[in-house]
Amino acid sequence: MANTIIGSSIVIDGEISGDEDLVIQGTVKGRISLKESLYVESSGIVEADIDTQNVEIAGRVTGNIVASDKVELKADCRVIGDIKSPRILIADGAAFKGNVDMDIKD
Amino acid sequence: MAVKNQSMFSNNTVVGPSILISGRLSGDEDLTVRGRVEGEIVLSHTLIVEESGIVKANVEVKHAIVSGVVVGNIRATECVELTPGGRMVGDIVSPRVMIVDGASFRGRVDMGEAQGPREAQERPATKPSYTAYAPRFSSALRPPSVPRPPLRSASPPAPLQRPAAPRPMPVQRTVVTAPPPAVASPPEHLPSDADEDSADAKPLPPEPPVLMDVNKKKVVVKKKK
Repeated sequence: MANTIIGSSIVIDGEISGDEDLVIQGTVKGRISLKESLYVESSGIVEADIDTQNVEIAGRVTGNIVASDKVELKADCRVIGDIKSPRILIADGAAFKGNVDMDIKD
Repeated sequence: MAVKNQSMFSNNTVVGPSILISGRLSGDEDLTVRGRVEGEIVLSHTLIVEESGIVKANVEVKHAIVSGVVVGNIRATECVELTPGGRMVGDIVSPRVMIVDGASFRGRVDMGEAQGPREAQERPATKPSYTAYAPRFSSALRPPSVPRPPLRSASPPAPLQRPAAPRPMPVQRTVVTAPPPAVASPPEHLPSDADEDSADAKPLPPEPPVLMDVNKKKVVVKKKK
């Protein structure tokens, strides 16, 4: 399913873009833009602005998140930044600080 | 979690075919590139650039295997391997470099100075020793050769051989006064050959020549008749 994996000892400082799922177990700083799903696993550390279709976060994310479909903050994740997405799920145990925008049009 | 996930994904970092990473990538594990990476790659393990992979970066790794495209310099502490599908433009610095038939490469290769010169120095050292032995065997065939006289006159083995030869010589030649000059002359090639011939001729000539001559003469005479 997920073709791209950033391993736990990998550090990327820069920009990641692409059309497929991305799993982050390591550290990414900079910017991530995908047309598919981003999975930040529990060992993953992201200090980047994120622009994807789906985001699932179990690790740490610092940065603004824009998702066209869904953002899911799992238990024990730690997220600092603004989230903009039509669907946002925050699980029990998740730590989050920032604004939430579900882009609701009245 | 991390360990389980890594085992699930074969403990590899993979950059998928549609992914572009631009910037600096560093780490302590294997990296497989099927997409694009631009910028810089620093790993303490292996970089594998697969056929669909494109790397435009300066690379510092332990081991690099290139089946795709690499534009940039690779510095490897162990080995750089260009497989048949590999294409690379840039310089390679690595103690071991393998470029397979079918791979295309443009750039400089530096395997370090440690290994190359040592081998180069050993080879010349063995050659002189071989040439030193060669004249002894070829001496009979090439008496006029210039290099040989100095070697024999200066080399210790020559005097060692002389005593061995003279010992039988005097015994056979005790009656004849000629031997002493023959012994003194051997250091020079032409004389030595001449002396040997003369020495052999003195004891042997009387018996065989006579028999041979008699037989030959008889046969010849019969045929003539």
